[in-house]
Amino acid sequence: MRQLKLRGVKALSRSHTASWELGRNSNPRQSVSPKEPRILTASLRAAALSSCWKHNNEEDKVSGRLGEPDLKSEIKGTGGCLTSSSMSWAQALLLARGISRGWRGICGATVMGAPFPQVPLQAPRGLHCSAAATAAGSSDSWLAPPPPEPQKGPTKALAFHEELFQRAPEGTRDKADFVRAVQNFGQHNVHKRGHVDFIYLALRKMREFGVERDLAVYNLLLDVFPKEVFRPRSIFQRMFIHYPRQQECGVAVLEQMENHGVMPNKETEFLLLQIFGRKSYPMLKFVRMKLWFSRFKNINPFPVPRDLPRDPVDLAKLGLRHMEPNLNATVTIYQMPSSTDSTGAADPAEPHIVGIQTPDQQAALAHHNPARPVFVEGPFSLWLRNKCVYYHILRADLLPPEEREVEEIPEEWNLYYPMQLHLDYGRSGWDDYEFDVHKVEEGPVFAICMAGAHDQATLAKWIQGLQETNPALAQIPVVFRLAGSTGELLAPSSGLEEPSPPPPEGQEEEEDDQQRQHQGQS
Amino acid sequence: MAVSVLVSRRAVLVRASRALVAFATSRRLLRTSPPSRAFAKELFLGKIEKKEVFPFPEVSQDELNDINQFVGPVEKFFTEEVDSKRIDREGRIPDETLDKLKSLGLFGMQVPEEYGGLGFSNTMYARLGEIVGLDASIAVTLAAHQAIGLKGIILAGNKEQKAKYLPRLASGEHIAAFCLTEPSSGSDAASIKSRATLSEDKKHYILNGSKVWITNGGLANIFTVFAKTEVVDSDGSVKDKITAFIVERDFGGVTHGKPEDKLGIRGSNTCEVHFENTRVPIENVLGEVGGGFKVAMNILNSGRFSMGSTVAGMLKKLIEMTAAYACTRKQFNKNLSEFGLIQEKFALMAQKAYVMESMAYLTAGMLDQPGFPDCSIEAAMVKVFSSEGAWQCVSEALQILGGSGYMRDYPYERLLRDSRILLIFEGTNEILRMYIALTGLQHAGRILTARINELKRGNVTTVIETVGRRLRDSLGRTVDLGLTGKLGAVHPSVADSANKLEENVYYFGRTVETLLLRFGKTIVEEQMVLKRVANILINLYGMTAVLSRASRSIRVGIRNHDHEVLLANIFCAEAYYQNLFTLSQLDKYSPENLDEQIKKVSQQVLEKQAYICAHPLDRTS
Repeated sequence: MRQLKLRGVKALSRSHTASWELGRNSNPRQSVSPKEPRILTASLRAAALSSCWKHNNEEDKVSGRLGEPDLKSEIKGTGGCLTSSSMSWAQALLLARGISRGWRGICGATVMGAPFPQVPLQAPRGLHCSAAATAAGSSDSWLAPPPPEPQKGPTKALAFHEELFQRAPEGTRDKADFVRAVQNFGQHNVHKRGHVDFIYLALRKMREFGVERDLAVYNLLLDVFPKEVFRPRSIFQRMFIHYPRQQECGVAVLEQMENHGVMPNKETEFLLLQIFGRKSYPMLKFVRMKLWFSRFKNINPFPVPRDLPRDPVDLAKLGLRHMEPNLNATVTIYQMPSSTDSTGAADPAEPHIVGIQTPDQQAALAHHNPARPVFVEGPFSLWLRNKCVYYHILRADLLPPEEREVEEIPEEWNLYYPMQLHLDYGRSGWDDYEFDVHKVEEGPVFAICMAGAHDQATLAKWIQGLQETNPALAQIPVVFRLAGSTGELLAPSSGLEEPSPPPPEGQEEEEDDQQRQHQGQS
Repeated sequence: MAVSVLVSRRAVLVRASRALVAFATSRRLLRTSPPSRAFAKELFLGKIEKKEVFPFPEVSQDELNDINQFVGPVEKFFTEEVDSKRIDREGRIPDETLDKLKSLGLFGMQVPEEYGGLGFSNTMYARLGEIVGLDASIAVTLAAHQAIGLKGIILAGNKEQKAKYLPRLASGEHIAAFCLTEPSSGSDAASIKSRATLSEDKKHYILNGSKVWITNGGLANIFTVFAKTEVVDSDGSVKDKITAFIVERDFGGVTHGKPEDKLGIRGSNTCEVHFENTRVPIENVLGEVGGGFKVAMNILNSGRFSMGSTVAGMLKKLIEMTAAYACTRKQFNKNLSEFGLIQEKFALMAQKAYVMESMAYLTAGMLDQPGFPDCSIEAAMVKVFSSEGAWQCVSEALQILGGSGYMRDYPYERLLRDSRILLIFEGTNEILRMYIALTGLQHAGRILTARINELKRGNVTTVIETVGRRLRDSLGRTVDLGLTGKLGAVHPSVADSANKLEENVYYFGRTVETLLLRFGKTIVEEQMVLKRVANILINLYGMTAVLSRASRSIRVGIRNHDHEVLLANIFCAEAYYQNLFTLSQLDKYSPENLDEQIKKVSQQVLEKQAYICAHPLDRTS
């Protein structure tokens, strides 16, 4: 409770310093020499950047395969900016310390309509501040608020808050329970003591209650903040972070909204205005969210639905459609899972097999030279939001240049106009825009499938099913090249004479038609 | 009674026209000059082949009298007896109307007279087309019969085939149909699925396959059918090639579906035709075995020019009808005809009719010249111009008529429905534009090969010459291709327009050269460029036609030639500015050219197969 003894500007500035030292494992209560903030700023900025970077990477891992630019990480970048932009304030603040001391005296007297005297308010601020500072051990604190570890007083409150949430019976946690918990907090705690901790706690509990995407609940949480109290009333309050811990908490609420893609609405704005005022960090965050959310909301050209289907067959259909840009492709369910129990897990004997094929792929397969094998490869992973599905492809090697048929225009083709001009000169250099396009040619992919099991027997059934629509496939040898583990791309093979090294648990086997038929029946 | 009079009159006419054709052929023998260079192709080189188009082709007074004698009864029949409304409503041409058409000889207009036809020249055929065009269903039925249905026999048939089939086709006893289109094959000959295989005794072909959208499919007895046959090439390999056959309905295995329900030309009979193990004797192969592609192309190319006069005939009638309405209907105490926006529409209709008439008769005259000149580009241009003009004019006419144009009680909506098919059949206008542009570019490309190769190699003199010419062009030179001036081909009243034409032609030639230099043979893929080339060419041809016709009219002193001068000048000025715009679009880096953006838009739309813009009421927050 040492902070409680601190008074006036000194406490103010110190607490601010502490709150900015999130990225640094230094004792916030150390006095800061005038030179230090500069270093501190730099280190903080680096920390903020690294956190952004880290998140970018993580997000990329998730969505990289889909080729979708990630929105969240972008927004996160702006969140990071918020942190870094606040850094310069640290310097300004320390420089202005002297001035503000004088100014405060005047201010305290002149600000009109200030409901409370300034001094008593310092106490809770300092208190919250210290809590936040202790809690903020890592630079990730902005992104996932860790449980604040308050000393003494708040601990009790926290335990009490936990109770609020635990009163709801297990298994039936829903929005109503959550709302009740929040309301109970308000009822039991008329003075809203410990509301910051409560909000942090509630934020962490949201997922359990399944309300992490509910805008109304976020607004309800913001409503927990006392109104008008934290609004800066003077230019200096505005200049220095007024009630930093509360502001931080407000930002954390917005941050969580952002992470779940919840767009704040007018009500949020109104609440923030009431709580923190126009010139505050939560408000800044809000404005930025408003700006960037709307910009990035529809930037993904390949949107994945927010709620993925639970049924594996539907999920597979979705994944296949997602990968195949051609809208004329047909999705075929070659095998429905034999028994789908309540958990959605299929009987391993009869896993689902869902495949996709476009008319073009069908035509390409029909024209495939039967002397050349086709390969079933996989499994490859595809991330759809937080779910990973695995797919297999049916593909062939690229034809060696000498075997490629030169596509020639038949002489008598078009009844109405010539399809080619008999001239011996082509396009001139300055109308050839393809000069710097480097193209890597790949062998054709004939079909894609997603199956419940990745073993050869299952995939043989897929091939068998494909034969119904692709009679040519019956003549073509099919080689199964299945990686035991998932995710790694096989090196492109260079034909039969140089088979790629067998993958760890993979089965590589060339089989003739009969064998496959046999397998298909088994 | 009337019929007998008509028939006897017809006999006289036939005799007269026979004499006339004999005269024409004798004249043809007299003038055995080398085949002259086609006019349109020379335009691609920036030249005007004056001999071809100036003066405007004339017919002799005797021939004209004959035509007029023949036209009279036909016109009378069409205006008084043909009930277009009923034909449209019932979806078929009444038998008595068909019989009358047959008795008038309209089923054998271009069949040589030794086979019992009228042996009309192209000009006379075009003239008759004007009247036939008064009812679109009849026009299409007749065109399907003789412009494409039996044309194959005239063009590619041997003596026996002609003697066997033409007389009965000419009399209308048999009706012909042209069977090319298949479900999988529109203009793509390679995807024709119908197949004819030689029977074991090598005396028959067994024909199997289905054809769709066959005009007269349900009426016809004689079909020109295109099917794939196996042909042994000169190098011994067996290839599938298209062969044309004359198939009689009596050969067996020929069935047809029920008539299609169409938007317009509802009186014409369009249906599917199926051939199932139809035995076609080998003497019924039209042309050579494996030569069907050329036969088909020739038939299609030869049939197009007549659309110009057919549409012009329809438009003339339409102008009469709408003008009567505009001069009687009063609004605000004024006749509609006094409003500027209505006047504008009449001027447009008159202008279009004038241009397409001029183009059609110019082309017909060129075709009638000795030496069988290849006028397929010109014919295609006539078709494109007249079909689009028809659609535009009928649409404007409906605008003049307001609500009554939209009502079934009036004939106008039928005209609108009927004229829509013109843009589609006999090769869609898009395809014909490709044909026009590519055929011309092929010609120009061959001739310019040497020059372009020198330019590409960087031959100093050629480069300097080209640069110098460009410099002179850009500094503004007056182009003189010799149309105007003293004793020029063009009358001074339209000399301004002639200068415009000359300038357009000259710069068109330059642009073609640049395009060939830029794209070479890959210009085939630049369809938007080709479309512009074709548009310019169509305009140039229209300008030439009206200039030639107006000049002749003034010089000969035709009635209302001052009106013609007005129309010619209006059209030439409009076409000139259109051409300038299009030429500037063909420049590299021209700001008028939005092709890249247009391609991108369509690519994005087609990728999603939908209109992809969000709804205007959508919000992000």
